[in-house]
Amino acid sequence: MNPLELTLGIMTAVGGFVDISELVFAAKAGSTFGYALIWVFAFSTVGIIVFSEMSGRVAAIAKQPVFNLMRHRLGLKLGLVTLLASIISNLVTCAAEIGGVSLIMNYLTGAPYLVMAVVLTLLIILSIWVLPFKWIERIYGLLGLFMIVFAAALVGIHPPWAKIAAGFVPQVPHGLSTKELMTFGYFCVAIVSAVLFPYEVYFYSSGGIEEEWGPKDLLTNRITSILGMGLGSLLAISILANSAQLFGPANISPEIPGSAALEAAIPFGKWGLILALLGMLFAVAGAAVETCMANAYSIAQFFGWKWGRHKKPWDAPRFTVTWIALFVAALLVVLTGINVMTLVELAILFSILVLPLTYLPLLLLAGDRQYMREHVNGRLAKGLGWVYFAVITVAALSAIPLYLLTSGGNG
Amino acid sequence: MLILAALLAGCSGSCPEADLQYIKQARSIGAEWALINEQANANNLTPTYVTSMHVWLRQQLQTSSTSLTKPDSRYGKEIQALLQQPDDVAPDEIRAHVARLKQIEDQLESA
Repeated sequence: MNPLELTLGIMTAVGGFVDISELVFAAKAGSTFGYALIWVFAFSTVGIIVFSEMSGRVAAIAKQPVFNLMRHRLGLKLGLVTLLASIISNLVTCAAEIGGVSLIMNYLTGAPYLVMAVVLTLLIILSIWVLPFKWIERIYGLLGLFMIVFAAALVGIHPPWAKIAAGFVPQVPHGLSTKELMTFGYFCVAIVSAVLFPYEVYFYSSGGIEEEWGPKDLLTNRITSILGMGLGSLLAISILANSAQLFGPANISPEIPGSAALEAAIPFGKWGLILALLGMLFAVAGAAVETCMANAYSIAQFFGWKWGRHKKPWDAPRFTVTWIALFVAALLVVLTGINVMTLVELAILFSILVLPLTYLPLLLLAGDRQYMREHVNGRLAKGLGWVYFAVITVAALSAIPLYLLTSGGNG
Repeated sequence: MLILAALLAGCSGSCPEADLQYIKQARSIGAEWALINEQANANNLTPTYVTSMHVWLRQQLQTSSTSLTKPDSRYGKEIQALLQQPDDVAPDEIRAHVARLKQIEDQLESA
């Protein structure tokens, strides 16, 4: 295990953890319910750690990417349904990320939003074309570390630490009306969906295969999953806690992604604002890359095409055309002028519906001794895996009713 | 039962309760606008960010306003008054509108 590689891997995971949905929902959750939803972030983070570690282990031992498993485990028909649902979910998510990046660039430079959407999509496509896989992931992830300014801002505003610590204990605030309880439920579902986005697992496990992981990489996989996701989650929790402290008492429920940047500007002034916007820009751009590539990986793996960024683009022509076409499709969605917040809400909804079908085959294969030999799921991984599977299934079933009953969390 | 059904049918889509989410949205946008102007006055924000945020907030506020089922109501007029303010209006002036919207919101929620 190379310590430098390990450190870079962890830092990349930290910087790449937050995407546009987490940014929006963390800020809204804090302003609406104070610190009471911190535990949902913490709980969901353990879930994504469990499934990321599992998908990395399956990639290293069984050498199977998630969508290959899906076709074998769910059968062709159900596999195809899952593929279609995940294509739609990832496409909407990718469009939300491109819209988010364009908005952030608009806050930084004042350049028109739609022009920025075109320019940034082209730049992201170019970066994927010219950079090796490892550096695509690292550049966006490492530059996303500017978001640490949100954690520093939290220290800078001297929040009530005891209340923040109490937020890690599972709770439902007292004295909520029925409508407020439903809104609380909707936020729980949205946070679970935003943290456990399926694209993260597709991208992570495909990346493991791209980098030819083997049994020697299992410890790195475990440490990167636990520390990278765990520390990344602290950034999201910082955004929530800053929002609870600064926005809640001011009657603000952040309606646009740029609002979160104010959290760093209040204690640190212009430099805080600029660092926050730069961190958001690279973290969200990284998420755009991951969603689009995850979609292309899924399609190529499902149909058995040659795939991977370790190959020259013309050596895997269908895969190359697919990821470029998916970026263009996501850009076209943004160019219709649809509101970024609407896209974020749709991304959350579609993703939660796909989650159970994404994680079931992974759980089954990681527990199959024939494929995984001595690296099969242990008691802890198996127990946690099934608990989280039950939680995401309940969340998936309640997502649409809660969305409709609460007007998308707006009460 | 019939009276209840008639009341529900009459209410659907046109009661002030149906506008509650837009009132909340407008109140929040107004409060955010005040915070931005306050931070801009303290020289904590870049001019580009302030200009962009004003454009987006105004757009959101306009959407809330046009989504109202009763634009001529007290809250509709309050939102219109907010929309007519210049971008660099004093934070306290915006907060006065926000306070009135919050009052209406609380009244509707407790009704």
